[in-house]
Amino acid sequence: MNRTTPADEVRAQLAALLPRLRRFARVIARNVADADDLVQASVEKALVRAEQWRPGSKLDSWMFGIMKNAWIDEIRARRRRERVHAPEEAGFGVGDASAAARDIALSVQAAMARLPEDQRMAIALVLVEGLSYRDAAESLGIPIGTLTSRLARGREALQALLGGKEGAP
Amino acid sequence: MKRFSDEMLMAYADGELDLVARAEIEAAIARDPEVARAVERHRALAGHVRTAYDGVLAEPVPDRLAALVAPSGGAPVADLPARREARRIAIGRWQVPPYTALAASVVLGFVIGMLVMREPAAPYEDVDGAFVARGALAAALTTELASLPDNSGVSIGISFRDHAGDYCRTFHMHREASVSGLACRQGEDWKLEVLAAAPQHAGELRPAAAMPLAVLHAVDAAIEGEPLDAGAEAKARDAGWRKARNVAE
Repeated sequence: MNRTTPADEVRAQLAALLPRLRRFARVIARNVADADDLVQASVEKALVRAEQWRPGSKLDSWMFGIMKNAWIDEIRARRRRERVHAPEEAGFGVGDASAAARDIALSVQAAMARLPEDQRMAIALVLVEGLSYRDAAESLGIPIGTLTSRLARGREALQALLGGKEGAP
Repeated sequence: MKRFSDEMLMAYADGELDLVARAEIEAAIARDPEVARAVERHRALAGHVRTAYDGVLAEPVPDRLAALVAPSGGAPVADLPARREARRIAIGRWQVPPYTALAASVVLGFVIGMLVMREPAAPYEDVDGAFVARGALAAALTTELASLPDNSGVSIGISFRDHAGDYCRTFHMHREASVSGLACRQGEDWKLEVLAAAPQHAGELRPAAAMPLAVLHAVDAAIEGEPLDAGAEAKARDAGWRKARNVAE
């Protein structure tokens, strides 16, 4: 009889999680190719170290943590090689929205792209992925107080970048 | 009247406060329109940020990602038919030139850790931040042909020229750890572009077709034209893998 390995279990759960991992990656990597590369590298990493995941704990928080580290490694590697970031891509994933909603989505994506990495990750986890402050802080490996202050600064910056749009329409 | 920090109001809007704090803020909202507006701003922004990325969830997941978590497929799991399928898909789709060395760097760190643990003499060396093949690996890359059986613990997969005209070769090491990778010629060295853990098949010669996805992606991104055939491979070796700029074409 086949034994279920930790990797099997992680893999089974990851299949359902992929759309969200792609979304999180899109927020932090800002273009589709880099984002999917990030998802791929993180999934491969997660499968290799699947036994480090505690069954019963939240796989999404664990994965977001892996993705955050993989992204930071990637940024460092690019700096070392003096590679420039691929240009951000405007307007992915807003296909079916109404014109007004599309406008807002585009402005939000553009504003998000200008936030510092740490603030963007905090916002991605809490506002986009809907994690609790506690889970988000755990994913990022930071205290809750640090998470909330990044979140607050990031939001403030977004409000400023989006100008009058914050309440509209 | 008690003043609430913006962070408090934000936490309220995010549903992160306990009952008591929530009641206090709701009372403040009721009597102070400014507090009400601040909370509303937080909520509205949160809503806009959330919906800005909603579309990603509706996109079909690319096959190369789905293949990773398919019950029987994907690196680093050993399942040859699924991997061949994944490879076919990956080669077909991966046409985005900005090959980020992301997969590479992540896998590289892991595999190098593995090699350091297992290999008595590391088959690579860190030269100014780039990993360069050494020892048996370097020798195999320089002298071995893909068509010949190897007895060095390293077998060569495909050889090709990259966009800059430098020669690159995929390889598989199977003596201690089972590792595949891509190396490209840099001067007199072979620079390791990617290393990835490869499944081990006891007693079975591992088909070159079953290279880990990370390696395939790297090849696909780097390759200019077609892989070398056996004749061109031998010629390139005999010419010392010198950069092929002056090839008349």
